[in-house]
Amino acid sequence: MTRYAVPCGTIVFCLLAYWLSTQFDRVPPILLRGMQPEDFPQMVLILIIALSVLVMIFDKPIEHGVVGANVWRSIGMFVVFSLVAQIDLFLGLGVFAGGLASLWGERRLWSIGLVAFISPALVFLLFDLVFRIRFPRGFLTNLWYG
Amino acid sequence: MEPLIAGLLALMDPQLLVLLFAATLAGVIIGSLPGLNATTGAALLLPFTITMEPIPAIAILTTIYCAATFAGAITAILINTPGTSASATTCLDGFPMAQRGEAGRALGMATVSSTIGGIISVFCLMLAAPLLARMAYNFAPPEYFALTVFGISMLATIGDGTPLKNIIAGCIGILLATVGKDLLTTVERFTFGFNELSEGIGFVPVMIGIFGISELLVQAERLSVERRQILLKAIKLPSRADYRKVWKTILRSSGIGTFIGILPAEGATVASMIGYNEARRWSKTPEEFGKGAIEGIAGSEAANNSATGGAMVPTLALGIPGSPTAAVILAGLMVHGLQPGPTMFTEQAEFAYAIFWSMLLVNITFIFVGLFGAKLFARVTFVPVQILWPIVFTFSIVGAYALDQSMLDVYIAIGSGVIGYFMRRFGYSVVPLAIGLILGGMLEKRLGQSLIMLDDQWWLMFTRPLTLLFFVLTVLALFGPYCWCLFRQRDPLQSTGE
Repeated sequence: MTRYAVPCGTIVFCLLAYWLSTQFDRVPPILLRGMQPEDFPQMVLILIIALSVLVMIFDKPIEHGVVGANVWRSIGMFVVFSLVAQIDLFLGLGVFAGGLASLWGERRLWSIGLVAFISPALVFLLFDLVFRIRFPRGFLTNLWYG
Repeated sequence: MEPLIAGLLALMDPQLLVLLFAATLAGVIIGSLPGLNATTGAALLLPFTITMEPIPAIAILTTIYCAATFAGAITAILINTPGTSASATTCLDGFPMAQRGEAGRALGMATVSSTIGGIISVFCLMLAAPLLARMAYNFAPPEYFALTVFGISMLATIGDGTPLKNIIAGCIGILLATVGKDLLTTVERFTFGFNELSEGIGFVPVMIGIFGISELLVQAERLSVERRQILLKAIKLPSRADYRKVWKTILRSSGIGTFIGILPAEGATVASMIGYNEARRWSKTPEEFGKGAIEGIAGSEAANNSATGGAMVPTLALGIPGSPTAAVILAGLMVHGLQPGPTMFTEQAEFAYAIFWSMLLVNITFIFVGLFGAKLFARVTFVPVQILWPIVFTFSIVGAYALDQSMLDVYIAIGSGVIGYFMRRFGYSVVPLAIGLILGGMLEKRLGQSLIMLDDQWWLMFTRPLTLLFFVLTVLALFGPYCWCLFRQRDPLQSTGE
């Protein structure tokens, strides 16, 4: 099914992007030098559509198998991270790292603690103290920034 | 001569030397870890280099490139899992040798071949890059446009996908490069009202996503795969007779690797395959290949490491990446405001030569790391994936945030990772996407400049000899393999990787 589904999805995406490109502001012809802003993206989109049609016609189907449960769980953890990161980036990273390690079969508490607490804390200190990166304020980072 | 010495002196800072030694060790560890390769390693370390001066920043990335490419052989030999795709052919003879209790001999040969290949290619880089840059000095926008089109056409043969899918992935990369303000008209495109997007989608979060985070999902699929391991016996290095047997193979493969590396978008993987094949073709005992032939290791490793120097030639001289990792290094150059191309060897000659010397230095350094530390570094492969990958994710996310200190970049990295995973799953390589993203802006700018220069008469491009030559090469690169396969009565869409 992916032989047709993926190129069809690509074509639908390109058509949508093409429609969006028609909404760009245009430069008045008297001021224009070279191309209008939509010309180049539209050329690329038409090329992608044409190539996707060729893939549908010529490409040999390949066996994919189903996406494993671990992959979906890991993607689920990305969603959890994105939500928790709204409260605090490093809280999100800790929850993600600890959660992923246990989802992937880690049972030793010290290992989970290492990836959930120690590694985000060390990465935070490295970037804050050495590279002088200011992280977004949040539940945990406020403890450091005051 | 003066910039050559100035470049060497720029590297003689003790702090920088320590940093480069640490980068060599980091590169060896990255290359040893199955799933992490030179490209992923360079993409993950790119944010760390942003606050540095350009010379140490780019020297670190090139060091990671060379060291990780070499280190892929360690796991290929010891656990039959190539640390990088460029070492896949090393498995064929390396693991059988390790099973026979000759792991040290195999590792020693891989180290020496890689070192010699790397050194030869750096000298070629020192000679060829300035010459190529001087040729490109007379290029006008139409020539640059045609050259960039040629560079993009080489995407057809890069990565794991079929040529058609690779070009689609490359075009999606080019499309992503159009997000933000149009350079010529300053009109905003595909920004959806996000101010952060008006400067375009950053290379760094996309690269971290498609190389690092997508690999996390690939690893999630392989949790149940068990790796065959052998006991790490005492290392017995190759004998003088071994070196006498393989010196011609090493020199031949170094030449092949350097040449393949120079071709835009062709990298160490293709070089190692051709290097291995040629080693077998010229061998007096081709029947031993695949069963533990030391020439096989020499052929593959000399070729893949010499491709690193070759790949830097078009990257520095023309701004066209010679390999996926060179694309990340090119992104690093752009992030530091450096313009690869002819001016690099006139206006930033000290920088260019400092990079050459750093590559030479890393090739000399890893002979010691390889011969004395391989056994130790092989132990990093025992780190469980359920510990390693959450830590890699933490670094990836903080790295994606660090460049512009924007949470949007974090979400772009995660989104790119998920898209990258599904692209890989459906046979679309992510490497062309990365290269398309880097070259897309350049392509549009040069097309716009060409149209202005030619007064909108685009067909005049075909009247310029060099432009025409690059277009002919593009057509050959795109359709040559099809014609060849038709000639040999084979299906062109199934012939990727050849």
